[in-house]
Amino acid sequence: MAFNIYDFTSFTQSIDQGLNSVMPAFWAMITEMVIIGVAILAFYALVGLFLVYAERKVCAFMQNRVGPNRVGPYGIIQTIADLIKLLMKELVEIKKADKLLFTIAPFIVIIASFMAIAAIPFAKGLHAIDFNIGVLYVVAVSSLGVVGILIAGWSSNNKYSLIGAMRSGAQIVSYELSVGLSLITACILVGSLQLSTIVESQADGWLIFKGHIPAVIAFLIYLVASTAETNRGPFDLAEAESELTAGFHVEYSGIKFAFFFLAEYMNMFIVASIGATIFWGGWMPLHIGGWGSFNMVMDYIPPFVWYIGKTAVIIWIMMWFKWTFPRLRIDQLLTLEWKYLLPINLFNILLMAFIVLMGWHF
Amino acid sequence: MRLEDFLLMRHELLLTLIAIIILIAEIFTDDFKKQGIRPLSIILMAIVTIVGFLPAPTGTLFGGMYQATDMRLMMKNILNIGALIVFIQSASWLKSDDNQNKVSEFFLLLISTLIGMNFMISSGDFLMFYLGLELATIPIAALAAYDRYSNKSSEAGIKLILISALSSGILLYGISMIYGTVGSVYFDKVSVAYGATPLQIMSFIFFFTGMAFKISIVPFHLWTADVYEGAPVNVTSYLSVVSKGAAVFIFSIMLVTVFQNIAAMWKDVMWITAAITMTLGNLFAMRQNNLKRFLAFSSISQAGFIMLGIIGGSELGMAAVVYYILVYIFSNLGAFGVIAAISNASGGKENMSDYDGLYKTNPALSLTLTLALFSLAGIPPVAGFFGKFFLFTAVAEKGYWWLLTIAVLNTIISLYYYLLPVKAMFINKAETSIAYFKSDGWTKVGLIICVAGMVIVGFASVIFEYIRTLSFGL
Amino acid sequence: MTFLFYLLAAVAILSALMVVFSRSPINSVIFLIICFLSIAGHYILLNAQFLAVVHIIVYTGAIMVLFLFVIMLLNLNTSNEPHKSQLTRITAVITGGLLLLVLIAATKDAVLIQAKNPADYNIGLVKQIGQTLFKQFLLPFEISSVLFISAMVGAVMLGKKDSKKN
Repeated sequence: MAFNIYDFTSFTQSIDQGLNSVMPAFWAMITEMVIIGVAILAFYALVGLFLVYAERKVCAFMQNRVGPNRVGPYGIIQTIADLIKLLMKELVEIKKADKLLFTIAPFIVIIASFMAIAAIPFAKGLHAIDFNIGVLYVVAVSSLGVVGILIAGWSSNNKYSLIGAMRSGAQIVSYELSVGLSLITACILVGSLQLSTIVESQADGWLIFKGHIPAVIAFLIYLVASTAETNRGPFDLAEAESELTAGFHVEYSGIKFAFFFLAEYMNMFIVASIGATIFWGGWMPLHIGGWGSFNMVMDYIPPFVWYIGKTAVIIWIMMWFKWTFPRLRIDQLLTLEWKYLLPINLFNILLMAFIVLMGWHF
Repeated sequence: MRLEDFLLMRHELLLTLIAIIILIAEIFTDDFKKQGIRPLSIILMAIVTIVGFLPAPTGTLFGGMYQATDMRLMMKNILNIGALIVFIQSASWLKSDDNQNKVSEFFLLLISTLIGMNFMISSGDFLMFYLGLELATIPIAALAAYDRYSNKSSEAGIKLILISALSSGILLYGISMIYGTVGSVYFDKVSVAYGATPLQIMSFIFFFTGMAFKISIVPFHLWTADVYEGAPVNVTSYLSVVSKGAAVFIFSIMLVTVFQNIAAMWKDVMWITAAITMTLGNLFAMRQNNLKRFLAFSSISQAGFIMLGIIGGSELGMAAVVYYILVYIFSNLGAFGVIAAISNASGGKENMSDYDGLYKTNPALSLTLTLALFSLAGIPPVAGFFGKFFLFTAVAEKGYWWLLTIAVLNTIISLYYYLLPVKAMFINKAETSIAYFKSDGWTKVGLIICVAGMVIVGFASVIFEYIRTLSFGL
Repeated sequence: MTFLFYLLAAVAILSALMVVFSRSPINSVIFLIICFLSIAGHYILLNAQFLAVVHIIVYTGAIMVLFLFVIMLLNLNTSNEPHKSQLTRITAVITGGLLLLVLIAATKDAVLIQAKNPADYNIGLVKQIGQTLFKQFLLPFEISSVLFISAMVGAVMLGKKDSKKN
């Protein structure tokens, strides 16, 4: 296998052994946790900064504008400037708010997305935790964020934020089903819930090609449902600016607002990378059975680049959604999930199981 | 698993099938055709009831998780009869404007509780037992709140669901302790390994408490009257007869099989609770004016009488319990059927004083109610007498003379209050008694079945003898 | 591992107590979520990762969110709490205390039974659970589906619009 040159397994193992040789096992574990935490945090911040910039540029492109172009060349430092501005802003304390809950709500949201990112395999061996139920872990952890949103909406003691929080709660709880089920459809083909196994199994072709019809349906459902689960347009009723001013985070200012803002983009990044990992092979290069030399060439592109590239494509699709479609009404939103996506999804699982049973996949 | 094995589960499978048929019928019919759902459900239920009586193989399935013995099949048949009568009695009530758009839900929910009860009776381990119990109680709570716009009905629904959640919690706590001390949930393994360590006795107490809530034995009976009063009459009759019957069936099976090692202990517990249940149920029943509350307390004291048979514990006692519930189904459903008919025709008149002079206006209904109350009280010509007689024999056989004395005294007390509505109907004069009305065909059929049951089951001694031959193979 | 167990157990018990003692219902729900999360941690310590994750998805992700929903919509405050008389409280404390005493006394001398397959450390993994659920416990699994459909029918019945009354 040519991509061994990009294998991080030995690299991470040597760090582990090195740490264990200089300190007791317990402290070695703690140190590793800290290293991983700092690394993910740095990655998190970087991706967040980039995504905010990307969103504005994509939006501008869709609307035939230039977008941010003053701060730095092509406006690339714009987000950093915004960040500094947000840090300097006053944290408004609301008199009638539930102080404690009001303060911890943004943290719950951001912790949930932070926990999810730990499960994503960036490259072979570059993987913070590799649960044998990785897919379910991601679904579980990303479902915690809604608690933060609900608390934020309620503790603000503002009717717009409450309505926003309610909408978002109903939305996330319903669309979680479709996200989970469409991921399970893919897992039936692989026969495992472990993310690393899922990626390894796509060495001879991405899952969306191997599972043909049901896999494509599952991917499309995943794309729609995950867009809705991250509260992004056209499903952004929770923060519908024109009717609810800004939904659940209307009372938040400064860095607390930035947390929600960041968490939204990170959630988008997470669902995109999970989609890329499960349906498009994650860090696995594009391989076509029998084309030996083509596969060799593909192997020389580093897996991390593959991973980022695929994720970027999905993110771009999601941004495209946001700036193209008009916002749905709440009843249309719930109808779409419960009357269309869910039945299609359940049927699709049956179809996939049947295809796996008959061996009609590649 | 062979295909014939499914025959063992035919009660449950048939009920599931008709539930699916009704569900599909509900989806694919328009408002006009929905009228047909009532007769459809009743006919399907009648077919299931009749098919249930056909002889069938017995045995166990799923490694002892599901047990089909002749006795358990008989119990299911008895419950099917009860459900069928409730179905027939509700037909005219469901026709009213308020209920027209939720007819199929009524039948679906009742059938699903019946499925739960059947699985519960056939259970061979605590897991199946618990699932069946939940399936038998949760849909009933929705039915108790059937009359959505009435506060009392909603109150009944919420009380029922809270109480059943609480009692299930207590029950599960007991089951978890049993599992913890024995290491298995299968009845046959538990019954062998069950000793009398303090924790096991504790687990039995929790288990008993949970079941006592379901059967509404006295210290745990407080929910009964409110729920029975608030729920629609037909739901109340189902709750007081079929639900209670199913819980009593499985409880008695479990006591004599799973908890056989501590029989001496549970007999003491049952002795005291049975005595209190009979007495308090009777004393409270005397003071009621609302007939649904009246029958609620009467059903509490009936539960006390039924416990006598379980305490007897012998094969005679088991047969007496099953027979008594068969009789109780006909008598109580007869009483509730009359109350439902009158309540529907008179716009919700359910108080005893409303019944003054009913004999003058509606003689047939008055006679039916009288017969049903006689049967509940245990007055000789009707079946209730034989039921009580066998229960008393079962206790006397084992030498529980004090308990027997209390039971006989309670029967005498109960005679007094069971005759109160009779007195109201026949003797009391009223200026405006409920006007004469003609009940529709379904109600008549339901009441005729009840009356026939009360008379035939009492006189045909074959039935008791048959049940008695079955109770060997518990 | 033992340290983690005690930590999680302490968190679970403390948060469970706070569920009961919190004045505001919303705080109770938050503490309940913390309690569930620490119980999920216990599952992970037992190597039952599937159970842990399902516990989070079902309880924290779905049921608790519905709890929050209902409480927020009802707008319950501390002032809505029904007043309990002193006598009720004293009797409740005495009965609860007696029950605790009896339970402790009963568990004190309890004999530990041996686990069936102590070597089978993988029992909580998704494959094993699937095998058990769809082979040994197939019937209860199917019955629970009947339970869910009847619960749904009941909920729809209670929530259905009256076509005539509107």
